[in-house]
Amino acid sequence: MSSELFEQAARSVVDADVEEAKKLANQALEEDIPPLEMIEEGFTSGIVEVGRLFDRGELFLPQLMGCAEAMKEASGILKEAAAAAGEETAEDIEIVLGTVEGDVHDIGKGIVASILEANGIKVHDLGTDVPTNEFIEKAKEVDADVIGTSALLTTTMGANEDLIKTLEEENLRDRFKVVVGGGPVTERWADKIDADGYAENANEAVRVIQDLAN
Amino acid sequence: MVQTRMGDGMKIEMSEDEIREDIVRGVEDAVDRAKIDTLPQEEIDYLTDLYTRPSKFVSVEPGNEVVLTFDEGSVKLKRLVISIGRIPDLQIYERVFCSDTAELAHVDYSFKPVKPIIAEEQIEMEQALLSTILPLYYGAMPNLSLYSQPDGEFPNPAELLPKGKIDEAQKAYEGMIEHGIKDMVFVSSKMYEAGADGINFDTTGSAGEPDFLAALRATEKLKEKYPDISIEMGMSNEFVLGMHGDLEYEGTNLAGLYPHEQVKMAEKAGVDVFGPVVNINSSESIPWNIGRTVAMMKACAEEADIPVHANVGMGVGGVPIVETPPADSLCRASVALAEIGKQDGL
Amino acid sequence: MVISHALASGMGGVRTTGDLVARLQMSEGMRIEEAKEYVADKLDVDIADMSDPVIMDEVRKEYGIGRVQPAAGEPKGMEAKMNIAELLDIKINSVENFKDKTS
Repeated sequence: MSSELFEQAARSVVDADVEEAKKLANQALEEDIPPLEMIEEGFTSGIVEVGRLFDRGELFLPQLMGCAEAMKEASGILKEAAAAAGEETAEDIEIVLGTVEGDVHDIGKGIVASILEANGIKVHDLGTDVPTNEFIEKAKEVDADVIGTSALLTTTMGANEDLIKTLEEENLRDRFKVVVGGGPVTERWADKIDADGYAENANEAVRVIQDLAN
Repeated sequence: MVQTRMGDGMKIEMSEDEIREDIVRGVEDAVDRAKIDTLPQEEIDYLTDLYTRPSKFVSVEPGNEVVLTFDEGSVKLKRLVISIGRIPDLQIYERVFCSDTAELAHVDYSFKPVKPIIAEEQIEMEQALLSTILPLYYGAMPNLSLYSQPDGEFPNPAELLPKGKIDEAQKAYEGMIEHGIKDMVFVSSKMYEAGADGINFDTTGSAGEPDFLAALRATEKLKEKYPDISIEMGMSNEFVLGMHGDLEYEGTNLAGLYPHEQVKMAEKAGVDVFGPVVNINSSESIPWNIGRTVAMMKACAEEADIPVHANVGMGVGGVPIVETPPADSLCRASVALAEIGKQDGL
Repeated sequence: MVISHALASGMGGVRTTGDLVARLQMSEGMRIEEAKEYVADKLDVDIADMSDPVIMDEVRKEYGIGRVQPAAGEPKGMEAKMNIAELLDIKINSVENFKDKTS
């Protein structure tokens, strides 16, 4: 019975059906399905599928936002119930995200922000042309887990290296994980500058950030 | 073991079997994503042979040569920090590189910033045409992002969408499309009147399907205005990114279209030469990348009724994503796309 | 990058017939094989010779359609394009403009 409910939950997220997702969350509680299991096995499976479809061009950004809303609403109901029952829920991962200084490309970074949010990661989006010190100050302010940077130009990729060096100089390198991405950025470059993670696309960014933060 | 590369350009060694397996995996990925036919065994064998040859350089068999067009040519030498004007640059493309067409472009490479300097661009085109023989395009990107804040008057959809403001983002895109069409038609008209052989809408779709739709509509208008104008449309991504989600052209939703579907939209609008893109995955090997690239490009060429010129350069078309693409990978991609990818040009 | 492409798969531009084949693709929407056949027919050459710079340099000189290394007095630039338009029986935008302004 619960597997059927998990499938329906996943489907409600893929269909961006907010009302159905909320209804299924409440139904799970009525049927005494552990809330966190319902999130993991049901709704999270749905959002993973959403990411897969987006990566293949089968689902688009506006629809993705609807999926994220369904996920957020249903998870909210279940997390509240879990907390009331004394179940320990994982803290939200927080990321400070932006396009590096000198680079004004915002579309790719916006997509990453959307997909991360859809996966329950709290995003502090600093926009574009973000100086290194702004990334660091914001990360300190919100006690972020991860700093994520986007660079779309070969001429601006170097800002990633500046960020890591500055974190080292300020003895903050161990406090924040740094994940880099963007058109010309590669895993080889990420390794070279000693970044903690690299993501080829928005979908991969979710996995990399979750792995690093947990 | 044979030397090949990763998509990020790193040299690696693979056995013949591993190369074949990666090519097959790449083809399967293309078939799965784009919903196209797979490559026949003899073409897999051909690609395996091409990518296991120990030679540093390979070429097509005589008779299989294709037309070579180079986007944004007139500003590329300047990027190499060579102090050179645009007309000598075009002459070098014609006489030194022996390119089959060349392209006059402004360093901004977008239609919008060219508007206020259009008279200077026309003069440059007129002068270039007097001293060159090869066909000369004028090229720029639709670059719809320039019509949203902070560069334009519309609210920025890339900021609205992550906040869930979908209606506002869609309305902004719809306004940006109209402004983009107006600028593309204005600049293209002036450059055609100055004598350009063709107009290149390059990197189309970089701002998602609104960008693609604007270029299609601009093509329609230009063809209506100047029936003999030649339009090339180069893409920016292997599938059209869905940023609006509900934009249709001739009854087809543009978001998510792959090259073999994009080309049919381009044809309907009146495009004369289509330039598809297949992106590189830097975390996979070049054999994997060429398998999926060739499969998607071949499907596009087979579906097309107009000439198809694949984009084959840094990070696209089976070429590693590095500023100095290695000749060993580049020549193999060039050959694979000409001989198996059925391209009319590159 | 340009040079690698030119050597690997290029037709050869004004050294051979690449510019002419490109014109047929651009203005007539011809696919590569059809465009090659059309140009070969107009130039009275074999398709196999269309990317041969030795043969094509002589042919281009003979028709006055511009060469990569032209001698003094040979058609260049606009002059060569006027001859190309006539030989291939196509309209070239800049040639039409030139005629309008000069005749």
